[in-house]
Amino acid sequence: MHYDKKHIRNFSIIAHIDHGKSTLADRILELTETVSQREMKEQFLDSMDLERERGITIKLNAVTLKYHAKNGEDYLFNLIDTPGHVDFSYEVSRSLAACEGCLLVVDATQGVEAQTLANVYLAVDNNLEIVPVINKIDLPSAMPDMAKREIEERIGIPADNACLVSAKTGLNVGDVLEAVVNYIPSPMGDDNNPLQALIFDSYYDSYRGVIIMVRVKEGKVKVGDTIHLMAANKNYLVTEVGIRNPKEIKTDELCAGEVGYISAQIKDIKDVHPGETVTLLSNPAKEALPGYRKMNPMVYCGLYPVDSKKYLDLKDALEKLTLNDASLVFEPETSQALGFGFRCGFLGLLHMDVVQERLEREYGLDLILTAPSVIYHVYKSDGTMIALDNPSKLPDLTTIKEIQEPYVKAQIMTPKEYVGAVMDLCQNRRGIYLNLEYFDDTRMIATYELPLAEIVYNFFDKLKSFTKGYASFDYEYSDYKVGNLSKMDILLNGDVIDALSIIVYKGSAYERGSVVVRKLKEIIPRQQFEVPVQAAINGKIIARADIKAVRKDVLAKCYGGDISRKKKLLEKQKEGKKRMKAIGSVEVPQEAFMTVLSIDDD
Amino acid sequence: MTNKPQSLYIHIPFCEHICTYCDFTKLFYFGKYEKDYLDSLIKEIESYHINKVKTLYFGGGTPTALSDAGFERILTFAKQYLADDYEFTVEANVENLTESKLLIMKKVGVNRLSIGVQSTNDKLLKEIGRNHTFEDAKRVISLAKGLGFDNINIDLIYGFKRQSLRQLKKDLANFIELDIDHISIYSLIVEPGSILYTKGVKEQREGPSRKFYEVILKTLRANGYERYEISNFARNGKYSRHNMTYWKNQEYYGCGLGASGFVSGNRYTNTKSLREYNNLNFVKENSPVSPEENLEYYLITNFRMEQGFSRQEFKQKFGRDFEDLFGDKIKRFFLTNLIDITPDRIKLTDEGLLLMDFVILKLM
Repeated sequence: MHYDKKHIRNFSIIAHIDHGKSTLADRILELTETVSQREMKEQFLDSMDLERERGITIKLNAVTLKYHAKNGEDYLFNLIDTPGHVDFSYEVSRSLAACEGCLLVVDATQGVEAQTLANVYLAVDNNLEIVPVINKIDLPSAMPDMAKREIEERIGIPADNACLVSAKTGLNVGDVLEAVVNYIPSPMGDDNNPLQALIFDSYYDSYRGVIIMVRVKEGKVKVGDTIHLMAANKNYLVTEVGIRNPKEIKTDELCAGEVGYISAQIKDIKDVHPGETVTLLSNPAKEALPGYRKMNPMVYCGLYPVDSKKYLDLKDALEKLTLNDASLVFEPETSQALGFGFRCGFLGLLHMDVVQERLEREYGLDLILTAPSVIYHVYKSDGTMIALDNPSKLPDLTTIKEIQEPYVKAQIMTPKEYVGAVMDLCQNRRGIYLNLEYFDDTRMIATYELPLAEIVYNFFDKLKSFTKGYASFDYEYSDYKVGNLSKMDILLNGDVIDALSIIVYKGSAYERGSVVVRKLKEIIPRQQFEVPVQAAINGKIIARADIKAVRKDVLAKCYGGDISRKKKLLEKQKEGKKRMKAIGSVEVPQEAFMTVLSIDDD
Repeated sequence: MTNKPQSLYIHIPFCEHICTYCDFTKLFYFGKYEKDYLDSLIKEIESYHINKVKTLYFGGGTPTALSDAGFERILTFAKQYLADDYEFTVEANVENLTESKLLIMKKVGVNRLSIGVQSTNDKLLKEIGRNHTFEDAKRVISLAKGLGFDNINIDLIYGFKRQSLRQLKKDLANFIELDIDHISIYSLIVEPGSILYTKGVKEQREGPSRKFYEVILKTLRANGYERYEISNFARNGKYSRHNMTYWKNQEYYGCGLGASGFVSGNRYTNTKSLREYNNLNFVKENSPVSPEENLEYYLITNFRMEQGFSRQEFKQKFGRDFEDLFGDKIKRFFLTNLIDITPDRIKLTDEGLLLMDFVILKLM
């Protein structure tokens, strides 16, 4: 079956986290009978277990649907679901580049949030048609008029035609599909032009190699064509094309305006990057598509296999992850304490968390992560500058002129009764006050410049707990500023553990040192001898705690039934050991490497 | 299987009083339960088609809580499975180890008694829910000896939080005075499911517990007792042959409510529901032991013995030398002063025995 361009709609859904984006996508899938009731799982497009468990969308996910509209005609929809969290805005920009329009979902009980603004601006930048959808109108606390007014006043797009829906109950979801037909433009492009297709995603199949997801902008591609990847300068023979609904369905060709997959026996993962343009070798396009704004990692950490023998497995897994996660970067590094591993860059902490969990679940790896660090600019006396992503590599103090750290400009939207708590939090994290204004009658926006290092660790959690979950938070990178910083080393049994070194603000070094050694003392299992834990700055010990020796650890009696019980207990402890790394004779649990970021007593 | 288990454990779940530290399967004794239970128990034992075993052990609960008739019935029934050179142990509480029970045992052929004396301090005995005094204990022990029982074990518990070292030493002195050949001595474990746990009673802290153990070890050794297992001491070679089955990771039949067993490479646990049991649904969990698991079971058990295990036997069972398998870890975790590797045997040192669970976890 073939659809002319007039009957194709490519769109995505953007929304703040928790505003019901994935639920709306579920309803759309059901209404268009793309997925049968039998196959339907909640949050269908969140195909990773991780996404379902956490109730968040991490990766964009594309699906093709058929829709019979009220005007009697059949349409082909390409819906590209996108994540809502600040860490994943790059995924949003990727999907937007493949669309002509988007649904803007706003929670009728919450209104417009800071992150919604950021994503809408991205959509506007991409010249997309925006269709507002006000969700959760079935809730007693819904205020659809308030939500409409905010969309008009805060974003500046008309909202009188907004669909009022409940994705949960399915109320009025049909209106949304009609709005897609009526308001979102059909794709442009000419099948007869040279092929230009944008790779917006890819995945790995052990039989067919790398499968790429493309949005065809111009021209067409079919089985037997030889495609040319313009940036990588590589050629491949196309063996299969098709659409996903969301299962793969083979088609004869993919034409301008369409979204689908291409399999071309691409074996080397490194050749494929999202944002790449695909053309035909025989009739190449003159130039590549604009591609994506490359996102730079903000946070770095060391990633090590618990079992050193798994180093190559980890390398392989990281390479596969970068296939559809262009913002993940990694390079090999070595730690005295942890052996061979990788220094990896992430967009934020949630991103880091997700990568860790995917590596552990999808690739069965047990990992040690070191504490996340930002990139410090270390200016040396000789005039050179080092971009430092690993605190343990800080050069000798005598050679350093100054250390600069990255700041972000953060906008925090909060109900006004919590504004005091929010400001206290920002002050405690060395924030520089910029502005405070009313967003509407009940909410305020506080703008601060904050060191990225201060928000890297649990700032978001703190913010949520100080505001009972009502605050939302968005930030953008601002610049580097000189900081009163130095390196804090942690010594275990007298030896510096390089993987535990961090850069700290001198003003709070003593306090942090004592918190860290105390936490390590709690976390690190006792040994048959006493193990001192020390924190040091410039070789000077600033805090110490001793992990007491085990004095007695034996089951008193062990008869018939006790044996199996003892074994089960041991099994549990063994499970815990899987996430420990032996440093010298001391087995250190994974969470120990995070404790160096502990800030207070909670 | 060519090698059938050589040991049989039989569980009698009834008690007249519930001890505050006990987490074993137990029920208050009511005469009306007894007959049904013994009928089911006999059916379970028969289901194993046991040929002969060398050791037989009645534990509980309290076997001596049974009526004299029931007691004699089940003892007599079980006795038929014993080979010639046997050990036949019955656990007893001081309060219901009556002369008539002793006579029944004598008649049937019981040759070892294990008596739950627990403490020689009457106040403490009361606190832990025991219904006897130390005087009572002395009385039944001399009664038993008088009837010719010469293989007697007594149990002692130590490590109550408020217990003083002086109290412990007094207990030890009293025990030694009883002049018996076997002593089992346990530090108190507050198990979930026990009355003490519900009451929020805490175990002794690690430091004092170690000190107490060291005093026990020193005192009993000085008085001619050999520690052959972490918590078990014997004179004159009167080891508990039955319990050594467990500590050598050998197979055994386990019968009765909540009992567990190890037969034909499977470890199983019986139901704890009397109703289920009387419906003849005996086994609740049953799983084969894999070779890897068996290695763990082997270490968990054999390391408890002062003599450890023979290198040759280990190699025979697991195909590799112990040092081959664990040498790296022993070196890396500085376990050399905890594990004693002699030309024929592998065993834990005195320090290693105190840290046995720690050592095993490091080896895993």
